[in-house]
Amino acid sequence: MDLDLFLQFLTNGVVMGVFYALSALGLTLIFGLMRVVNFAHGEFYMLGGVTGWFVTSYLGLDFFSGLALVAVAMAAFGWLVDRFLIERVRGQGEEPGILLTIGLSIFLVNATLLVVGPAPMKVAGAVAEGPLFFGPIAVTKLRLIAVGVGIALIAGAHLIIRKTRLGAAMRATFQDPMAASLAGIRTGNVYAATFALGCTLAALSGMLLGSIYSAQASVGGLISLKSFVVVILGGMGSFAGAIAGGLLLGIAEAFWGGYVATGMVDVVGFVLVILILLFRPQGLFSIRAERA
Amino acid sequence: MKRLVLGSLLLAGVAAPLSAQAQDTIKIGMVEPLTGSVAYNGKSVVEGAKLAVEEMNAAGGILGKKIELVIEDGQCTPANSVNAVEKLVQKDKVAALVGAFCSSATAAIMPVAQKYKIPLVTGVSSQASLTEQGNPYFFRAAETDALMAKAFAKILANDLKLTKVAYIGVNDDWGRGGVEEFSRDLSALGAKSVLTEYFDHGTTDFFTLLTKLRAAKPDGVFVAAETQDGSILVKQIREMGLDAKVFGVGSWATADFINLTGSAAEGIHAAVPYASSMDAPRNQTFVKSYEAKYRIKPGKYGAAGYNALNITAQAIARAGNTDAEAIRAALYKTQYEAPNGVYRFTEKGQAYGFDAVLVRIEGGQPKVIASTPVDAPH
Amino acid sequence: MTLERNVLLAFLAAAALLPALVTDQYLLHLGVMALFYAILATSLNLVVGYVGEFSLGHTAFLGAGAYTAALLSTQLGLPMWATIPLAGLISALFGFGIGAITLRLQGPYFVIVTLSFAEVLRIVANNWIAVTNGPMGLAGIDQFGITNKGTFFYIVLGLTAVALYLAFRFVHSNTGRAAVAVRENRYVAQSIGVDPFGTAMQAFVLGAFLAGLAGGFYAHYISFVGPEVFRFPFMVTMIIMVLLGGKGTLIGPIAGAVIVTLLEEYLREMQELRLTLFGLIVMAVVLFLPNGLMGFIAQRREQQGAKPAPRAATKERTV
Repeated sequence: MDLDLFLQFLTNGVVMGVFYALSALGLTLIFGLMRVVNFAHGEFYMLGGVTGWFVTSYLGLDFFSGLALVAVAMAAFGWLVDRFLIERVRGQGEEPGILLTIGLSIFLVNATLLVVGPAPMKVAGAVAEGPLFFGPIAVTKLRLIAVGVGIALIAGAHLIIRKTRLGAAMRATFQDPMAASLAGIRTGNVYAATFALGCTLAALSGMLLGSIYSAQASVGGLISLKSFVVVILGGMGSFAGAIAGGLLLGIAEAFWGGYVATGMVDVVGFVLVILILLFRPQGLFSIRAERA
Repeated sequence: MKRLVLGSLLLAGVAAPLSAQAQDTIKIGMVEPLTGSVAYNGKSVVEGAKLAVEEMNAAGGILGKKIELVIEDGQCTPANSVNAVEKLVQKDKVAALVGAFCSSATAAIMPVAQKYKIPLVTGVSSQASLTEQGNPYFFRAAETDALMAKAFAKILANDLKLTKVAYIGVNDDWGRGGVEEFSRDLSALGAKSVLTEYFDHGTTDFFTLLTKLRAAKPDGVFVAAETQDGSILVKQIREMGLDAKVFGVGSWATADFINLTGSAAEGIHAAVPYASSMDAPRNQTFVKSYEAKYRIKPGKYGAAGYNALNITAQAIARAGNTDAEAIRAALYKTQYEAPNGVYRFTEKGQAYGFDAVLVRIEGGQPKVIASTPVDAPH
Repeated sequence: MTLERNVLLAFLAAAALLPALVTDQYLLHLGVMALFYAILATSLNLVVGYVGEFSLGHTAFLGAGAYTAALLSTQLGLPMWATIPLAGLISALFGFGIGAITLRLQGPYFVIVTLSFAEVLRIVANNWIAVTNGPMGLAGIDQFGITNKGTFFYIVLGLTAVALYLAFRFVHSNTGRAAVAVRENRYVAQSIGVDPFGTAMQAFVLGAFLAGLAGGFYAHYISFVGPEVFRFPFMVTMIIMVLLGGKGTLIGPIAGAVIVTLLEEYLREMQELRLTLFGLIVMAVVLFLPNGLMGFIAQRREQQGAKPAPRAATKERTV
């Protein structure tokens, strides 16, 4: 085996793995913890990219101020979506949530088409493009920065859940909503905050990756599917699991594409999901047992 | 029973506008993808078509009536495109059809057009077999991959001094057709094929594919991809530090593509049936009015929609009425002076005679470096 | 039960009259599509409404059926009366295989694993060029010279009748009642000797068979089959139909199929706004008709002391 080739495939896989983990992070909260099978996840990602294009090209902000503005806007959007839509189907099983988010995703894609049109949009990146070599391995500065920001976002989200009062309230609410509300936690707000956080993370990853690829109204479908794969692989609701699931998917795809064929690379994730649910339904890395 | 009441209410609603309209316009139906992942290109076709209709109506219309363009979204899927055609034919009573974008959707609507005896002109669908089905109502006012390969393989092989070529195509009929035709013709000219890979439409990361490509050490990379996939792919070829010459087919000679691809677009070659920088007086007029209307220069698909509509409407004018057989006969006698040359049809309904160009992106502009009329296929 | 049967029979009888009353081919085409979707929605409803698990992979069976019929017709030249039943049988085999794996799972896991199967089949269909012709698809599937929509309408109506008959028999059989018991309370059902996996499997395989029939019909009617038959949009349409009409009833999915088919076409009048409005309508259905149309009607009938309400009026309000 050619070592240079192997190392490049591995690097590609790790970079993609972090990107997958990053784009699935929001779904880890919304699907993994809140149990909303959110088919609008990819559209939240898409909105992040499109608003990212808007704030960098029209408002002329630099990348990081743009990122902050997108975060604020999408958090508010997520809060409203939860309060006006998701809240009304809470506790009714998966079906109403699935149909509701499918409707939301159809609406968001087509409303975006109406407003900004179907063209791919360029999100200004944080740094200039161009290759960067480590020996035989090629990456780009932009990718390294995206990986760095991605890891920071994952760590930040983890800290919010683990170290803040909001995080404690979240954990309590998702373990036992009744007890949490008896203990004085306003569970309605906790749900909305979690949804807003999930929506924000999806949008931030959309803007970050939009600066590497491009943003377009129709990108959401594929993102939703891949993110479901990542969340299932990693085990529901676990950040560490999402990272592991993302890396597993990224590396498996890189090696399959590298040594077998690129044409069928999307099949890897779905086959992994089927195998894992067959043999280890709680996910590869889940530390908690399935809740009743 | 209630269901029936509701059903008939809705049926009545769908049917209502059917009877009321008198035919004081000449209707041409258009099926293009306006939603979904191909919507970007579909919208360009529609823009071109609308401009053509506007110009003709400003000049008095045809047969003393205004042309009315009825546009429906086919989403590039067979079932939706068939729905759209049924509606256009039965409810709007269109005289002729233009569409659909993707070859799969066009293949599905062709039998419908034949059944209702409505002429169908496509400005885009490139799958070679479409004109081989013996459908007398189908006309293709577009290049096929085979015609493009035949026109430019030699120039490319010589100018770029190709010896080892890697082929990358989007995994659909068009991408596969482009790769097959160009690799056949370039191989015959002595350029060795070192890698052939396909990727799915919507793919964003090509680093794995490009790692294989780097290992194959080609001096030329052929790419069959549209703006969305193609711009990312070309950008990543440079990000991988590859300096192989990039050429291919796709709507690359547009401001959008060049803007998205950035500096990586410099020096790449695209074989296209149309580029806004084509040097012909008719083209300059077309570019001027297109730019005035849409504030962007037309690309391959804008021109495709413009041409398809003009060809169809002029055939109706020559036919003297909206009888399908008369329009069909008139279409065979097409001698349409397009911004890019003159379109004629073979008896199988394949267009030829128009110019195709090879452009190189230089200083952010598509520069025409070779132009050749597309011959009739044998 | 008798009311349900009578309504279904009345629906089929009324539908049988349609080609005699309507000559407009576009409306007949919509009738054909509505019945095609009615079969699909009925078959999905067997899984969603009677197994109580939410399958997002039902396009696997639609696609398997469509490809089966397309291949049998284009490669072996079999006639339609053979290809469509065989399409159903092959789909039922797929149902058996996929069911054996997926029915062990529940809740969101079942949702995602069924979706994964459909996606795997789509990717295989897209790349196995030698058999499926990949993204180029299978074109020119024989229509046996049928040019009249009325004929196709009666074919799909016949299939609808078969689908409704089988679904009706299943739902009112012991297995069907056992399936409802499992849906309502798995543990109680098990304690009285019901085998949840076995009953779910029967419903799943029957659903796959019916979806395969629909797929076989689709292949001949559209005369083109490509990988998009496995794609998510078909799934979305089916789900909306079942949940809008009311899952767990036999009338609901049919009502849903008719309404959604006509609504999608009717919204063409809205041009660019079409799908944006469609998304809003779907959301509104979830929020304001949580149990679907049939749930709404049942609720109203309860409110009015079970006396049959003036129905047409209620119906219009729900549009």
